[in-house]
Parts: sequence; structure tokens; C-alpha cells
Amino acid sequence: MDYSKQIQDIAAKLFADGKIDVFVGYRMNSFDDNQIPVVITDPKEVAELVFTEKSVFNLTNYLKADHTRNKRVGLVVKGCDSRSLNLLLTESQVKREKLYIIGIACEGVVDDKGQKMQNCVECIVPDAVVFDEMLGTPKGIRDYIVNADIIELAGKGLVERREYFEQIFENCIRCNACRHSCPLCYCAKCCIDQETATIYNGSNTSSSAFHALMTWSLHLAGRCVDCRNCEKACPSHLPLHLLHKQNEKVIYDNFQNHLAGVEEGDRGAFYKYSLKDPDDFIL
Amino acid sequence: MSFSTFVTDKTGLQKLYEAIISKHETYAPVEKFGKYDYKKVSSLKECDPDSPIAMTMSVKPLFFPRASKIMKYEANSSGTTIMETDEDPLAGKRVVLGVKHCDARGLQVLDAVNKWDYIDSDFLKRRANTVIFSTRCDKADTHCFCTSLDYDLEKLDALDVAVVNGSDGKIYLQARTGKGDIFLKENSDQSTMYDVQNTMDDVRSTKYEEDMKKQYIAFTGSFRLKMDYKDVNEKMAKRFDSPAFEEASRNCVSCNTCAFICPTCHCFKISDEKIKDTGVRYKSYDSCNNVYFTLEAGGHNPRPAKFRRWRQRSMHKFVYYKERFGVNLCVGCGHCAISCPVNISIFDVVNHVANSPASS
Amino acid sequence: METLLVPTLCKVDRIIQETPDVRTYRLKFKDESLTEKFSWQPGQFVEFSLLGSGECTFCISSSATRKGFFDCSIKRAGIVTADIHSDLEEGDEVGIRGPYGNWFPLDEIKGKNLLFVGGGIGLAPLRSLIQYAIDNRADYKDFTILYGARTSADLCYKEEIEEWKKNTSVKVVLTIDKPEDTWKENVGVVPKILEEVVKPEIANTKVITCGPPIMIKYTLQSLDRLGFAPKDVITTLEMKMQCGLGKCGRCNIGSTYICKDGPVFTYEQLKALPDEF
Repeated sequence: MDYSKQIQDIAAKLFADGKIDVFVGYRMNSFDDNQIPVVITDPKEVAELVFTEKSVFNLTNYLKADHTRNKRVGLVVKGCDSRSLNLLLTESQVKREKLYIIGIACEGVVDDKGQKMQNCVECIVPDAVVFDEMLGTPKGIRDYIVNADIIELAGKGLVERREYFEQIFENCIRCNACRHSCPLCYCAKCCIDQETATIYNGSNTSSSAFHALMTWSLHLAGRCVDCRNCEKACPSHLPLHLLHKQNEKVIYDNFQNHLAGVEEGDRGAFYKYSLKDPDDFIL
Repeated sequence: MSFSTFVTDKTGLQKLYEAIISKHETYAPVEKFGKYDYKKVSSLKECDPDSPIAMTMSVKPLFFPRASKIMKYEANSSGTTIMETDEDPLAGKRVVLGVKHCDARGLQVLDAVNKWDYIDSDFLKRRANTVIFSTRCDKADTHCFCTSLDYDLEKLDALDVAVVNGSDGKIYLQARTGKGDIFLKENSDQSTMYDVQNTMDDVRSTKYEEDMKKQYIAFTGSFRLKMDYKDVNEKMAKRFDSPAFEEASRNCVSCNTCAFICPTCHCFKISDEKIKDTGVRYKSYDSCNNVYFTLEAGGHNPRPAKFRRWRQRSMHKFVYYKERFGVNLCVGCGHCAISCPVNISIFDVVNHVANSPASS
Repeated sequence: METLLVPTLCKVDRIIQETPDVRTYRLKFKDESLTEKFSWQPGQFVEFSLLGSGECTFCISSSATRKGFFDCSIKRAGIVTADIHSDLEEGDEVGIRGPYGNWFPLDEIKGKNLLFVGGGIGLAPLRSLIQYAIDNRADYKDFTILYGARTSADLCYKEEIEEWKKNTSVKVVLTIDKPEDTWKENVGVVPKILEEVVKPEIANTKVITCGPPIMIKYTLQSLDRLGFAPKDVITTLEMKMQCGLGKCGRCNIGSTYICKDGPVFTYEQLKALPDEF
């Protein structure tokens, strides 16, 4: 999977035609063979752009940054990234007409060690679902695979599960990097940063980390697209996907196989009503 | 004043570590999810004093905790009382194993801000009661640039005992402070550790300085990143208005993790946790990359844009702290670049700015 | 344990509603033996905490020459100040740390004409020095207070201003931005009144000013035009602060800690700082 040349050509043409002000893509790191996101405003820098199986970061995160606000943006999205983009579009965070989207029919990306990422192995929507131009051969939607860690988690009782999570959150340093690197966390002031919400209140005690991460994951339930930006940002390497994948499975099972952002105009599981929604909690 | 140096080998060092752990309150890097964090240990098996630098969190939280209680209070009909919190868990006599040299230097740099004017006696007490064992790295990691900064790794006295790997499996234990000297003498095992001054063994005694120098030269030769900190200090001071800050910070996602894992960042916030009539006030980490950091209640924010916050961060590290306290607020550990989701290194940022055209 | 940051309890003795959104809280130490020990200079500030809500920085708006209590004038602006206004009643207890920061250069202003230029809540830090100077009136020459607010309702310390007016050795000039039916004093923004009505003597005069940023900006320009040297213009800065001790790094502007090296600066010193406030 190497679309570097195509992306460079498209970006150059977009700049030449005056269709975009900013292009968000990937470039090589200066020190190893990994890649970092790059925000280009100068057409001369287009030659730096690359796209291979090392293009990991979900670039839709940059749509909330100062550099892209109210600008015309060219953007590269993989399958998962395009799902978060779909949600950002329905949630009115970006305007479709301001974007030029290069969709990728993704074959999966690899981590720093060259191993295929777990979310790519279990990927359901490899092709970009929203795009102006598609690179690669679309493979279509795959069957839902339950995450291996979640199967393991399902064997645990409630108390055991709580203990398990508490033990994971012990290493949380409350830097909130997970939240800031999440493309779908765009609230002007997050509820866990509110001065009045005294149980979260910034202090890094394990109870406040537990509350903050739980609240965060529930806010993303039915919206998380499993791009794993949060895990990439976590300095303590916490397996944050456990929270999101667990939510995803519950929602998939209970809300008519809902997967966030796959369809255009998707509002997330909790934001739409269907007669088929479970109601067995009503006595 | 010169302090004692001992020579031993791998087994000798392990025996020493085990003896320390059994006799003293000991902290060392403990692995979890591939990342090492300093925790209290009860056996050498739990921890790895030789943990890889890139995967080891800073030792700073043992002295400046991520969250520490300031006070508890209780308010009821008979009035309010402010209570002392529980005893400081970090104030006792203790030993920390496996600290990296750069990390230890970070503590020394923090002494300056905690000692000026109002004295943070809690921080200084934690410092005074701790003996730091620090192993000199054999090889630099991708993002390391400690040798390019304003301290001498060979003589660094931010640590109490330096552990240096010599040739042929020899390991040198060198006391760098009076505290380290006494501790080392008290805890040395005469069957496995030999004072280089006392031993008659020619190979062991006379060549140790040369052997340590050899290790140092090999280590300094392994750096990918090099810079002239004086040049950077000087140039940065003239580049407050440089557009280079904007260029260098463009792909930053403002996740703040760089400040939270930095061994020298010391900005904090004070927050209350309240449950009905009682509450606890905490001092916990904060980051100048956070947009709320300088947001005033009236709505005015002197640093609303990302590049302004980056300017504050990098200027604080290489200009302001230096002007104020005479040392750089960066120790070249590279942790910011390692933890950054988009691999921005303070090294790249300051060099980019320093090499940009000077503003008027 | 963070001994440096532990507050001391104070009792709210009196609450004075100054304007619709400003209240003055008169505080006394719960442990009365501390009253004597607590001494401050005009211009210094305290960390005021409503326990459970948080800590805020306020200047002490009264002078140590008035003994037994100290005042903090608080404008409703953010979350903590909103809580203070809604929850705090007379007799309640609050936490206080301080006094912190530097103070007005008392030695330098001795024997000079004093011109106070205040706007809105900006009179609070000036009031401390005004009280101090009135109590040591013999040390100073001419004494002028120019104070303005948006409307007459927004003028703080109305009772005290009446007292100042009665004092023949003090010249008080009041102004509001727009005409009001019952208002008999000046109308117009502070810099305009400064140039057109006050017409201060330049030689041997120290100007002490504080107010909203926009007022400060134009007042400094006016003072420049009138011919005041930047070193004779003294102001007090506001930055977000938390520790007040020169540790938490929040109020850094360049290598200056506003909480330690300030909050009182001359205009000359301000010009040397990076433009970040």
C-alpha cells in the first residue's frame, strides 16, 4: 500500500487550482521510518507527502485545530478515519463543501514494530466511506469480529471486571492526551474539566482517573470508530481500546448492529430513536 | 573532596540491590503495559533498574507527586476546620534505584525553583531523604540529547551513586555526594565489592578512571542529536516574534502529555474535591499547552493560540528559566518526543526557532 | 503534604454590596492572635479560598493602617467568584493565604504629588494605597483621585468616596461614560477627563493607575501625551495566578513572575516585558 505519488499529485493540483488552503497528510519522520502528520499551507511542501502502511494517525483530529477552522482543507482518510469524519459532518463540526477528501481503500496499518495493528486485523470498514476521490480497490464491509480482549473480559464477573479496570487506571497520569488526540472530542470545555464537577477535578488520584476515563468512554459510546489515536497518545500505554470495544460490542448487540459513522448522516447510537431499540428495562 | 568508588560485577551489583531492597524503603522502575514507572518494591524481581530509557517514566513524581493533598477541611454548623492531611508518604528515608542521569539532573534543576524566595520544604525534605542510584546509559536513544546541555554527565552530582558499566563485566559504583558516600560505605558487601583505593589488585584499582572514561566516550559517540545549547539560548532570546514557533507547532494536537511526563516541567494547579461538607484540596500537574492554563475568569486569555503556548513552553525551557535561575529547564531526555503522538521533540522546535531569521 | 499551600481560616465580618456585581468582604482572622502578625503593604494580594469551590487571587483593598480587619473586593466573573457571591454570608469562614507579591513603592512616592487614576473595580488596589496615604497625609503634597465607571451604579466604595470628598486636602474627580439624569459630575471616559478636566501637574507627580485593560491602554497614551515619564507611572497587573508563591508557573511573563516580582510595576518595567498580557 503506497499512494504517496498519487496523493502528492492530487494535493499539488488542488493547490494549483486554488481549491484548498491547507492540506493535511503524512510525512516521513526525520529520524526513522515512521510517519507523522503534517499540515501543509505552502504548495512547495507537497513533495514531502507520503502514504504507506505506516500512516497511522487519524487526521480528522486536525479538523478541530486553529489551522483548519473555516479553511478549505484537503485531507487523507482511511476507513476508520472516514467514519469519524462522517460523525463530525453530521455533528456540524465541519462543512462538507470545505473539504476535499482523498479516501483510501485501506489494507491495514502497522505499529512502530511493523506489526499489523489489532484494530486493522479486526477492521470491519477498511474502505473510506466518505470521499471525493478513492485510491486503491475497495473491499467492501467485512463481518463484525468481536475483539479478542473483550472475549476475555466477558468471562469476568462485575466485581472482577471493576478491579481489572481499576488496576489498569492506576497507571493513568491524567494528562488527558487520550481525549485531546481523539477526533471526536471537540467540546469547547470537556465535562471532566469543569471546575464544578468536583469528582473529576483534575487531580490525579486513581478514583478521579477512573471517573474521568469512564465518563469519557461513555461519551464516546456509539461514536468511537476504533482509530486508536487515544492509545497512540497515552504515555502510559494503557489499553484504552478495552473501554471502547466493550461499549461497541454492547451497542452492536443491542442497537441493530450499529457501527458508528459507517453510513452518511449517522448520528451515533444514542442520538437516534428506533422502535427496535431494547426496552426490556421498562418493568 | 573526592568520594569513594567501588568495583564489582553483575552479581555483586544484584546482591547490593537486593540488600538495599531488603533493608531500606526502595523505589525502582516497575513494568506495566511496556512502560516503566517508579514504584515501591519489595524484591529485585519486581523491578528492572536497567529499564530502557525510552520506556521509563520520569522519577519526578516521587518528589513532586502527580497529585498531592494540600489539606482536608470540614465545614459544619459549628464552623470550619482545616486539617493536616495524612503523613507525607514520600518524606521518609528511602532509596531510588535505576534513575537515569538526565532524570536526576531534572530534580537538581527543580531545586532552583523550589528554593527561591518561598521555600518548598516538602520538596526539599523528599530530596534530602532520598539516595539516588543512577546507571549511566551505555547508548543514547533516538531522542536523547543530554550531552548537548549545560551539565557534565561525568561529574553530575544530582545523583548520589553513579553506576557505570566498565569493560570485561566490571561495574563501578561511584559516590558523587557525601550522602551517597556514606550510604555506599554502609551498604557495601566486602565479599563482592572492592574499594578501588584499598584493593591491591592492580587491574581493579589503577585503571578504573580510564575504564570509566572509555565507557563515557563510547556513550557520547552514540548520539544522533547534537546541539550547542549556548547558541540556542542566545538565539532563542531574540526570537520572541519569530513565525518559526507557528511552523514548528503546526501539527501539535495540544494533548499536553509532553508536560506531564517531562522531568522538569513543574507547573501545577490547585483544585478542590468536595463531598457534601468535607473536601480535599489537591495540588496536581498542569500544562502550559492547555488552553485553560492562562484563561482568566473575565474571559481574557493572553495565550489563546497554540503557537503562543508553544512559545511559552520552549522559551521557558531555554530562555526564561535560564535568565532567572541560571540553568536550562530541559535535560535532553527526549521523553516529550517519545510520548508525543506525533513525535514533536523540544529539540526540533528550539533548533527550528533558533535557526530561523531573528526578529527585530 | 504541601505546607506552603495550606490556607488560614478567616471569618467574613461584613459584606458590602458596592455595585450590582461587586461586593466587599471584610475579613477577620478566626484565630485572633494572628491579626497582629498579619501585616501587609498597599498593593499586595491574598489567595482567597471558598473551601470546596477553589482559590482565587484578590488584592487587599484596605490599608494596614486601619487595624483589625482587611477587605477584599470581589467582582462576579468566573465560577469561584460566582460561588462566593451566591454562597458566602456574614459569619461564614474562608481560607486565606498571603499576603503575597510586591507593593507600591512607598519610599519613592513620599513627598510627591499623587494622582490616582482608577476605573471600575480597578479602584480596589488603589483604595489600599489611598487609605494609607490619607492616614499619612503629611508625607505627600497634592492628592488627586480620578475615578470613572461605565454608569453611576458601577462606582465602587460610594460611601467612602463621599468621605474623601469631604476631606479638603483631597481632590476627587468622578466620571461616568454616558450622561445620566441625576448625575452632576463629569461625563466622559477616564483618559478624556484626565486631559481635559484634571490637567495634572507633571513635575514631581507620581501616577498610580489601575482599571480594565482598555482603560489602561488609553490612559497610558494620555499620560504619555501629557508628558509623564514611564517611570513615574505605576500600575498593578492582573494575570491568572494559583500559588502566589512563584512556583506554579501560571503568571510567568518572560522570566518575570507576576506574583513575586509584581503585581505592581512601573510603566517603564512593563515596556520591557514580552507583549503577553
